[in-house]
Amino acid sequence: MATPSDSWTAVPRDWFASFGEIVKFLGKVLLQIIDLRVFKYSGEVLRQAGLLIMSSALVIWVLVFVVGLQCGIEGAYFSRAVGAPANAGTFSALCNLRELVPYAFGWMMAAKIGTGIVAELGSMRISDEIDALEVMGINSITFLCATKLLASWLTLPFLYIIAIGAGFFASYLAVVEQIGEVSSGGYFLLFWMFQNPPDMFFSLAKAMVMATVIVLVGCYYGYNASGGPVGVGTATAKSMVLNLVMVHLIGMLGTQVFWGGNARAPIGG
Amino acid sequence: MSSFADRRLAPAKNALEEVGDMMILTGKTVVSAVRPPFPYGGEFISQFLFAVRLCWFPLLISTVAVSYGAAGIQAINFLNIFGAPDRLGGFFVLAAIREFAPFVTAIVLAGVAGTAITADLGARKIREELDALQVLGVDPVKNLVVPRFLALMIVTGLFDVYAVIFGVFGGVLATTTSGLELGPFWATFLTNASVIDLWGSFVKCTLFGAIIAIVCCYKGMTASGGAEGVGRAVNSAVVITFIAVFSFNYVFTQTLLATNPEIQVIR
Repeated sequence: MATPSDSWTAVPRDWFASFGEIVKFLGKVLLQIIDLRVFKYSGEVLRQAGLLIMSSALVIWVLVFVVGLQCGIEGAYFSRAVGAPANAGTFSALCNLRELVPYAFGWMMAAKIGTGIVAELGSMRISDEIDALEVMGINSITFLCATKLLASWLTLPFLYIIAIGAGFFASYLAVVEQIGEVSSGGYFLLFWMFQNPPDMFFSLAKAMVMATVIVLVGCYYGYNASGGPVGVGTATAKSMVLNLVMVHLIGMLGTQVFWGGNARAPIGG
Repeated sequence: MSSFADRRLAPAKNALEEVGDMMILTGKTVVSAVRPPFPYGGEFISQFLFAVRLCWFPLLISTVAVSYGAAGIQAINFLNIFGAPDRLGGFFVLAAIREFAPFVTAIVLAGVAGTAITADLGARKIREELDALQVLGVDPVKNLVVPRFLALMIVTGLFDVYAVIFGVFGGVLATTTSGLELGPFWATFLTNASVIDLWGSFVKCTLFGAIIAIVCCYKGMTASGGAEGVGRAVNSAVVITFIAVFSFNYVFTQTLLATNPEIQVIR
């Protein structure tokens, strides 16, 4: 079998074993951005940003849209069940902005961008292109990894804010148009009452931390791929495992930090 | 003029062709799963164990994290508005059993076992092992796809139980850390839990497993283009799986809720 599955503890042991390596790698990449060496390759940064928008934006929005529909119908049925059907807007405001849009964004980032980076860098590694870059005197970590990270910082906030819009639109469609639980005005009244700009900022912060981790983990697994074409596939699969767990942990910690102590819900509580 | 139209429509046409191919693969898989002989027993067991070994740990962390944060903390916020945080148990029937357990299971299984399957089959495809099997008269669908299909369906269905248990544990954790009593949580949880919800959750999760297996096997078996090809196959497999799973989830939940009004009543 092409994957490390010999024992039951293979996955956690693998993480512990490579944890230090990963952190070291992350430090190296971040250093390249902090000391501005990455701007030598600003053309590459812009090219990566363009690739990100062209290839990933649409699928991310589609997934967030579907998740928004889900939030809408669950919200409508749940608030009907607690005897407050008018509160469908409250439910979908909390559900979309605070939880499911960041999660859906993280999942799709891991699936589309994370594995894409592993596949690209991994195949460069095993066809010795990364060594060729080094021989030509180009710092491969700067050129390949730091540019990708900077490109994702440049584009993803905007993609994310549009994704929030897609989620809101989908919930509106589900609650008001599909189920017809509340009127459009009643929906929006509570919907906007239960969120404010700091909420959006926190949600964005959560998503950006996820994005940073996903890009870096993708770069790590791709950059250190080995073992021929099979190795690239295995590395891609492994990066996905770590990314998913990180997305869930970041989501949980973000919720705890941003909303755990202060619900910021304007009634009661 | 026609070439311009062709070029514009090519992606849509390819996507439709792929969906059709996956449907054909599903049909072939189901037919060869039930038609004797049944040579896939050993492969089935090894795939089953493989998926369980690989997934149990990521799934544990993911279910606890999602249901503690997303469902637990935010739902306590929502219910505090009505002054009814003791209703959290009732909410967890909806959240953990109906929604989060199935789709976190699906996400983790797709990301962990699905990607491993695509990587495995893709590597075999580009090393021409699949062609070699066919030359030897061994049917790759019967010997490779069917065991994976059955194993993933059953594993995903069973992991749903596991996800429900740890999802509810996340709820217990959220209740405790918010300083609420556990008694009302269990009371409302147990009065609201219904058999239909549980069955709906299992059926949904099993079908998620089928979707994951078909998409990932299809993408692995059609990988092409050397080293980057396998990575690309894994990439598109997991993207297609996510979209398919969530679209299916939406239709399934909507149908379940609309056809079983009795499960919507909070008791």
